[in-house]
Amino acid sequence: MELDSLREAFDRVIEKRASSSAKAQEVIDQIVSEVEQAITKMQMMNTDSMGSADHSSILAELKAKFNELAPLNQLEGCQKELNVALSKYLKLLEKSFSPDISKAYRNVDFEASTINSIIANHFYRQGLFDLGDSFVRECGESDGAHLKLQFQEMYSILEAMQVRNLQCALSWAAKNHDQLLQNGSMLELKLHQLQFVEILTKGSRDEALKYARTHLVPFASLHKAEIQKLMACLLWADRLDQSPYAEFMSSTHWEKLAEELTHQFCSLLGQSSESPLGVAVSAGFQGLPTLLKLTTVMAAKKQEWQAMKQLPVPIDIGPEFQYHSVFVCPVLREQSSDENPPMLMPCGHVVSKQSIMKLSKSSSRPFKCPYCPSEAVASQCKQLHF
Amino acid sequence: MEMAIDTPSPSPSASSAAAGRQTRAAESVRLEHQLLRVPLEALKSTVRTNHRLAEKEIAAVLSSASAAAAAPGGGGGGSGDAAAVDHLTSLVSRLHGLKRKMEEGARAEELQVQRCRARLNRLASASSGDDAEWEELRLKRILVDYMLRMSYYDTAAKLAETSGIQDLVDVDVFLDAKRVIDSLQNKEIAPALAWCAENRSRLKKSKSKLEFFLRLQEFVELVKAKNFMHAIAYARKYLSPWGATHMKELQRVTATLVFRSSTNCAPYKVLFEQNQWDSLVDQFKQEFCKLYGMTLEPLLNIYMQAGLTALKTPFCFDGNCPKEDPLSLPGFRKLAEPLPFSKQHHSKLVCYITKELMDTENPPLVFPNGYVYSTKALDEMAKKNGGKVTCPRTGDICNYTDLVKAYIS
Repeated sequence: MELDSLREAFDRVIEKRASSSAKAQEVIDQIVSEVEQAITKMQMMNTDSMGSADHSSILAELKAKFNELAPLNQLEGCQKELNVALSKYLKLLEKSFSPDISKAYRNVDFEASTINSIIANHFYRQGLFDLGDSFVRECGESDGAHLKLQFQEMYSILEAMQVRNLQCALSWAAKNHDQLLQNGSMLELKLHQLQFVEILTKGSRDEALKYARTHLVPFASLHKAEIQKLMACLLWADRLDQSPYAEFMSSTHWEKLAEELTHQFCSLLGQSSESPLGVAVSAGFQGLPTLLKLTTVMAAKKQEWQAMKQLPVPIDIGPEFQYHSVFVCPVLREQSSDENPPMLMPCGHVVSKQSIMKLSKSSSRPFKCPYCPSEAVASQCKQLHF
Repeated sequence: MEMAIDTPSPSPSASSAAAGRQTRAAESVRLEHQLLRVPLEALKSTVRTNHRLAEKEIAAVLSSASAAAAAPGGGGGGSGDAAAVDHLTSLVSRLHGLKRKMEEGARAEELQVQRCRARLNRLASASSGDDAEWEELRLKRILVDYMLRMSYYDTAAKLAETSGIQDLVDVDVFLDAKRVIDSLQNKEIAPALAWCAENRSRLKKSKSKLEFFLRLQEFVELVKAKNFMHAIAYARKYLSPWGATHMKELQRVTATLVFRSSTNCAPYKVLFEQNQWDSLVDQFKQEFCKLYGMTLEPLLNIYMQAGLTALKTPFCFDGNCPKEDPLSLPGFRKLAEPLPFSKQHHSKLVCYITKELMDTENPPLVFPNGYVYSTKALDEMAKKNGGKVTCPRTGDICNYTDLVKAYIS
């Protein structure tokens, strides 16, 4: 973007501001020195007692000096240059940015209480409990208390993990053993694995072995390979860092596990691991430029923005925001639906059921795939479920 | 903005995805007008105040010096001499005072310059740093903006401080507004009028009626207090200048003299009601936002609306909307209700198992029963289970080799 030229324009502002401010000081100093000279002259005259008729001439002289200095003009000149720099910068700013991003805003009731409870939940789920409490106090919205308690538990587990204490994490995982298994998560085993390595490097081989017997054995049938590697670690007890298993000691295991724990914890709570507020705002940043262009175009065509039920064009947001499979039939250019589902032809290409009906004249004859030379009959086509 | 693809891209589709991300990032930086505009307006206003002060004081000193020169007997007898010296000495100390004030003013300007600069740098770092961190701080900035507009000052200040983003948010600008808002809520009009006076020329340019409404309210309060003579004098002095442009409103309000505060006559009754003050607060907030080049709606609302519009599809309202979609939550659904649905021109398929996009890199594979999952997911499953794959939705089991590829155009 034009950020470099903006910075240059702003450098001009900085320069002009500095010189304008220096000028003001200089002008004041000039006036002060003139007045002080005049005072000295008067005082000398008084001590000389040369007669005082000349005081008025000193004052007149001072006035003439002032006229010559024209301090106000000096100030004005500098200020003008500063104003020019400022307004050039402002113009560039208006040109480089979308000056009114509220153009695409719909004037609908965007209820503050709903937004407030979304924000309160956001603070709690990010672990910003003080901010959450302070926010709830100020806005008077208070239905986030439930979520707060749950996330407090999660953050206390994560904090303990930060100082390499796995007790809370392990007991949480044990408590939710069945559900974790159902999710296909190996979190519990991984936690025990970390604990085992921790004991092995800090404590003794015996202790580690004892730990393995009680805690790793239950996983043996499902995860033989992992357990074997861990057992091999016992051979290198006091020099694990030089062993083929040194990788077990890497601190990235801790970070990854904290991430996975967050993910699983949220999942068991029925929450997404990303803040939904964060997701909505990020999607907004990506989608708004297109919406702004669209409003401009629609305004030019005098089309109604405020009441439209569906956008006339797609908005390009990143694949990370795609939560639903959308199939658009490439022949009909229509989104598929229960009545018009996607169908797989024997060649592997996919079109909608209605397209196949059209191509096969209501299943009465074989037809050519619109995308390749192969032929198909309607009965060979298979409905797909994404 | 430069394309910052530093590793050779593995495939055309991956590089076009990266390019798409870059363009989107650059486009979203262009939305941040307010971030740069507000500190600039603050700087301009400080510069203006400082300049005006210098001009006024210097002009006063000059005219006072020339007045002394012109005074009859300026240099007359001995007492006159002493007076002339005293006079000039007082001018010197006045100038020293001005110099101090100008130094203070310059410091204030420098702080604002620094703030403008910090924000330019912040935007410049948008495409070069850690995206997740950048987005997190951006969200925090937007939350601070929301809270300031909603007058949740304590939390706003706390969030700004704990995240170290004081230079990127406008807490102090809003504290200025808070003074006026608080006083209006206490039914005091003076600070609001003072604010109008400070910004008179710019308010005039935008044809603001705020001052007029403030004057009307003050008049109504006099009527309410049965202070009729005073009210009439007030109207003559402060309301009549607006007659040329706002005669209708003026007439309506002055008619309250006849109706009194206990009236049941609808058009006049409302003028005496308490919520007139609330509407003054709203009007002030609007003028305030306009003056600083802010959007009238909180940024959060604007971005949320855009985001929810982009995310809104008919599938969001299905029973099995995944929890990662904000629109699976009742609060977001409620906010999205009056917004339009987004539109798709091209197929976008998301793997049921991994939630990842299925494209040419990770093509969709079809079970004999017609259920579709990504190659990545089924590949992994087959490796773990000796070449067998299970459809998680129907429980059907088949060989990996029985799966067929689907081509989606």
